[in-house]
Amino acid sequence: MSVRPDARSRRQLALMLTPYLVGLVGLVLLPALVTLGLAFTEYDLLRPPTWVGLDNLTALTDDPIFRVALVNSLVFALVAVPLRVLVALGLALLLHRRALGVGSARGAALLPTAVPEIAYGLLWLWLFNPLYGPINQLLRTGGENGLTVLGRTPPQWLTDPTDARAAIILMSLFTMGETFVVLLAARRSLPRDVYEMAALEDATGWDVFRRITLPLMAPVLALLAVRDVVASLHFTFVPAFVVTDGGPPPYSTTYLSLFVYQTGFEYLRYGYAAAATLVMILLTVAAVVVQWRLFRRYRGFYRL
Amino acid sequence: MRPKALVALLLSAVLVLTGCGSGGDDSSGDRGGPVKLLVFGAPEELAAYRTLLDAYGKARPGADVQLIEASDRKDLLARLATSVAGGAPPDLFLMNYRFYGQFAAKGVVEPLDERIAGSDVVDPAAYYPVAMDAFTWGGKQLCLPQNVSSLAVYYNRSLFQRYGVPEPKAGWSWNDLVGTATAMTRDSRGLVIKGTESEGAAQRPVVHGLGVEPSIIRLAPFVWSNGGEIVDDPDKPTRLTLDTPAAREALKNLVDLRQAYGVVPTDEEVEAEDDESRFANGRLAMLMTSRRATTNFRTITGFEWDVAPLPVYQKSVGVLHSDAYCMTRGAKNKDAAWRFLEYAIGEEGQKIIAATGRTVPSHIAVSQSPVFLGPAQPPRSAKVFLDAIPTVRALPTVSTWPEIEDLTYGILENAMHRGDKLDDVVRDLDQQTRPLFARGENG
Repeated sequence: MSVRPDARSRRQLALMLTPYLVGLVGLVLLPALVTLGLAFTEYDLLRPPTWVGLDNLTALTDDPIFRVALVNSLVFALVAVPLRVLVALGLALLLHRRALGVGSARGAALLPTAVPEIAYGLLWLWLFNPLYGPINQLLRTGGENGLTVLGRTPPQWLTDPTDARAAIILMSLFTMGETFVVLLAARRSLPRDVYEMAALEDATGWDVFRRITLPLMAPVLALLAVRDVVASLHFTFVPAFVVTDGGPPPYSTTYLSLFVYQTGFEYLRYGYAAAATLVMILLTVAAVVVQWRLFRRYRGFYRL
Repeated sequence: MRPKALVALLLSAVLVLTGCGSGGDDSSGDRGGPVKLLVFGAPEELAAYRTLLDAYGKARPGADVQLIEASDRKDLLARLATSVAGGAPPDLFLMNYRFYGQFAAKGVVEPLDERIAGSDVVDPAAYYPVAMDAFTWGGKQLCLPQNVSSLAVYYNRSLFQRYGVPEPKAGWSWNDLVGTATAMTRDSRGLVIKGTESEGAAQRPVVHGLGVEPSIIRLAPFVWSNGGEIVDDPDKPTRLTLDTPAAREALKNLVDLRQAYGVVPTDEEVEAEDDESRFANGRLAMLMTSRRATTNFRTITGFEWDVAPLPVYQKSVGVLHSDAYCMTRGAKNKDAAWRFLEYAIGEEGQKIIAATGRTVPSHIAVSQSPVFLGPAQPPRSAKVFLDAIPTVRALPTVSTWPEIEDLTYGILENAMHRGDKLDDVVRDLDQQTRPLFARGENG
């Protein structure tokens, strides 16, 4: 019995996708659905869940800690994501040419991403140590009495709310290795003749970047930005958990992910935590939709 | 093309099989396996439990107890809750009475009354009642305490002798504490220094007079000692009562340790080096903490240290610190777990764990034996812990207490280190904890 080639390759594709789909359904989609269902129950992990309808969601709107966590997460995404993408883009444009030491530099840019998260957190806990940490030691060089050379107190990374939020953002900047690699590949795959043409026209560096590189890389940048916004909702977890423990008080670095963890696993309010997770998912969807529309406009403008 | 498809099919089959297989093992293979004991603690504490398990293995050949080590208290709570939800809880876990309420209220803990009545090893009368009572819920004995510690003032004896400051002694007052701490706060030349303006000031203290964390459990004994209460009804609390003059005074005095006298390290200094390390490194003259710190401090070689009782306002009151072995209702090896429990809290087991320094034994005879009081190992004045037992009081065991402790810690930390206004602090403490008390369940 012979099968038509396209049908056969389709069947093959389905077969090869099966392991992934099994994992996706069994380990991600089903638990996610169960969690969403639990958002409408009161569940403490120990007794069977009871249906409470929208009670959890209405309680969330009145919960000051949840509101702080929500604002913290949004502010983090607004500041950290553009910075991360910018840093990655800058590095990609700097390091895409062949030159002496470029390989090592690329390796260095990628390395922090390869460090296991908890180890990365513990490392920064030492770096940020207010008195003995290398960052503040460095800032104090030349200064007197524990002040910087400008006569100011060095940042109080772990005890001042603003400094602590900055610390978490700083930590996140060095883990943009994946974004960097993708942008590097994107930049290297851009057609060379366009740049030769621009050189013939005596275009300045800024013109080249603004009129050629940026528009050509825009689709990739857009995708990475969307991905980063989605990821930013959860990659605040380990830094806040390991380095700041959600503090300085009251809740300066309590992000949604940490809020969900504490409510669910430390205070055993699993249903309530599931409701907060539901809000996180809705936020993710909203972020994707908004960015999608923005980029569609942008593409229309450049007729890409 | 065909082989590729076959490989893909095989791969997915392997994935499905291994995925299901590992889950199946967890739920079925436990019965008759080792007794699982879930604990957390510093490395020295975990070593103490391993010593106990080794001794049990020697005393009862063939008995198998497996230690499951959580990284900290919160990790232990999360592990316990998820393992109960997953249907494979540990047989035994060790937990402080302040945190067991949420598990007791939810029917996770197996009542032990019948087993105690049928045991010829465990005699309830042989234990300090205050610790036994802390673990009764709805009239039932849910867990059996291994220790009955209270808060004490650890002090660096060598440092006191070097600076010629009188050592703290029983019956000292809060003012004595402040005076002693002030006299012990020193700069690098060994001169008394005021630590209130340390940020950006010419000199930071090299030795701080006192370490105490701004938490409700540290504040409570002083509120009680001053004639106040921390909650309206210890059995069925509905709110914090720190707005009474007695409680306010105790709170203000605690905050003033940093804000007015600067004898405790700043928040920045605490983040840089926690109080326990600071004490162990010889840069803290006194530290208010429970017996737990002893195993760590016994590794100190550079100086001599001892313990003193808490300072007193009007009457001598301590706060109970007690951990107990609890059996889960879903335990797979209840009989074997009970045999270990009998051993661990019986005379023999308590002697072993007391010798490691970790506990103030809850077994009265063991606590008065040389294993605990003997001079071989510091602290020399171990009797301080026993003298405090008649006056210790327990904190509420309401099921939401862990949340209340976390929330109040943030407010109190800002009071002590940021200098928030006392009126606001007292009001925030009351208003923000009310919903938590309302949500809580009591035994």
